Amino acid sequence: MQEFEHIQSLWDTHKVEVKISSDEMLAQVKKDVNSIKTKSLLNISGMILSFIAIASIWLFYDVQSWTTHAGLTIIISSVAVYTFILYQSHKLIAKNDFTLHPKEFLGNLKQYQLNRFSLYNKLYWIYAIALSIGVGLYFFEILGRFEFLMQILIIALTFGWMLFCSALVRKVALKRERERIALLIEKFERLSVQFKEGE
Amino acid sequence: MEHKDQLFKNIFDTNSKKIFHLCYGYTGDTDAANDLLQETFLKVWQNLDKFRNKSLISTWIYRIAVNTCLTYLRSEKRQAKEELTDNIIENRVEEYSEKNEQIALLYKSISKLEENDRFIITMVLDELPYHQIAEISGISEGNLRVKIHRIKQRLTELYNQHARV
Repeated sequence: MQEFEHIQSLWDTHKVEVKISSDEMLAQVKKDVNSIKTKSLLNISGMILSFIAIASIWLFYDVQSWTTHAGLTIIISSVAVYTFILYQSHKLIAKNDFTLHPKEFLGNLKQYQLNRFSLYNKLYWIYAIALSIGVGLYFFEILGRFEFLMQILIIALTFGWMLFCSALVRKVALKRERERIALLIEKFERLSVQFKEGE
Repeated sequence: MEHKDQLFKNIFDTNSKKIFHLCYGYTGDTDAANDLLQETFLKVWQNLDKFRNKSLISTWIYRIAVNTCLTYLRSEKRQAKEELTDNIIENRVEEYSEKNEQIALLYKSISKLEENDRFIITMVLDELPYHQIAEISGISEGNLRVKIHRIKQRLTELYNQHARV
């Protein structure tokens, strides 16, 4: 009949072997972190591709009306500005390392939060209005090539989608983003304290 | 970046053995324990933004490990493998010395405990302070002491039953 002390001594004598070294683990983690940055870059690349695709309409279609030119110019300018803002935000967080410059990182994160808030509010409406005007002007000539029912369908789908994005998607994205960044700031502030205590 | 690398290595070096022991105690399988260890540390890095300074970083890592183990074993893939736990434990012990046989029995006995009890006893055996175990398992320290007493009794019973067979 064995007692618990025997079990404890058995446990203590059983040496476990961790197969992965800290270097290997670090390599894995880095690979993972890099994938987050890659996702962000893919987002920006997607916007650049949209820019190219819209701009290529000029090359592949025989555009005659000035309204189409004006519409396309407004749309691609909006996309370009939005892409630039995305890139600025990406730069703000991608290049900073919390463990190296905690204060700077926190400052940038707070700035990022303000930027995003502005992006989803005032800037979003400017973007949406610019896109609506651009699409409206673009349709002025292009829709003439379609039948009446098709025209109605295209207009309904386009503006319906924009309305859906403005009313629902934007609010959800704003809420999530606000919570996420607030949590990040809170965490880094807490971590700052912990690192100071650990020193 | 070098500072960050060093920090991660320190976190890993300080905690990996205990986390591995926890995973091994829970699964009784070296390969599974290694997989779980890696998954745990990936989550540690990914979820650093959710870390609260209210607890020690080791407590936080333990909690991630516990959740990782539970999720891992509850998945369909692991369900099938779980049935093999006895075989795994028995086959892993290559040298059939008396000591190794006893260790195999110990892991077999642990595997017969309830899920949460397995974690708790693993942490007890690893000599984690009670307040830390209480925080990880979400049980009050008073209740935990009673629970640990019962788990110790149950484990000893199971061990002795297996030893007699």
